[in-house]
Amino acid sequence: MEESEDVPKDFVKLKCEKLSVDEVSELVVSPCCGAVSLFIGTTRNNFEGKKVIHLEYEAYTSMAETEIKKICRNVRQKWPSVKHIAVHHRLGVVPITEASVIIAVSSPHRTESLEAVMYCINTLKASVPIWKKEIYEDEYSWKENKECFWANSEN
Amino acid sequence: QVSVLYFARSAELAGLRCETLSVPREITSLQLWEEIVKVHPRLAVIRDQVIFAVRQEYVHLGDQLLVLQPGDEVAIIPPISGG
Repeated sequence: MEESEDVPKDFVKLKCEKLSVDEVSELVVSPCCGAVSLFIGTTRNNFEGKKVIHLEYEAYTSMAETEIKKICRNVRQKWPSVKHIAVHHRLGVVPITEASVIIAVSSPHRTESLEAVMYCINTLKASVPIWKKEIYEDEYSWKENKECFWANSEN
Repeated sequence: QVSVLYFARSAELAGLRCETLSVPREITSLQLWEEIVKVHPRLAVIRDQVIFAVRQEYVHLGDQLLVLQPGDEVAIIPPISGG
C-alpha cells in the first residue's frame, strides 16, 4: 500500500438509515494510528418526567455538511496529528436507544483523538443547523441546545 | 428575489419550508426579518431566538447590511439541537 493512499480524510454523512458504529470506526482506522476514539449520541426515553416516544431530526443539509467540514478543518488545526475524522448524523425518525450521531477520530496516540472527539460534538451542538423534535405521548417539543451560540437561555 | 428557507419551528409558524420573496438588493438583516414577518406574522414570536443564514453564513438580526443577489438563499435558523 502506498503512503499517499492514507492521506487524512473527513467522512461527513447525514442519512435517514440506522447508523453503524462498525462502519464509522472502520472509516477512520489507519495503519499509522494507535488510537480510534468514538462518541455515540443515543436517544433517551424520558425528559422532565415525560415519556419520549421517539425523536425526529431535520437539517439544513447543505449548510450542515459545510459546517461539519469546518469543524473538521478546525480539528486538524488544533490537533495536527489527527488522521481521519468521521461524523455521521441521522435524520428523520430515530427510535429510543438508537444512535443519532456517531463521531470517530483516529490519531497516532490517544490524547489527540479523545480531545478531538469531544471538541467535535461540543462544536456540532453549538453551530450545525440540525434540529431535534422530541415526540411525547400527548405533545412534542423542538429542543434547543444550551450550546447554541446565538440563543439566550432565559431560565 | 431571494429563496427563503424555513426550518423546524419557523417552518411550522410560517406554514411552509421554502418560498421566493422580493426584497431590496441592499437591506439590513433586521429589515429583512421585518419583510419576512409582514408575510408571516406568526414568526414574530421567535424573533429573539432566531438567526439568519445568508448564502450559508450566519448573520445576526441587526444592523448588518446585506448585499443580496438574485437567487441567494436566506434561511431562518431557530435554536439548533443537533447531536
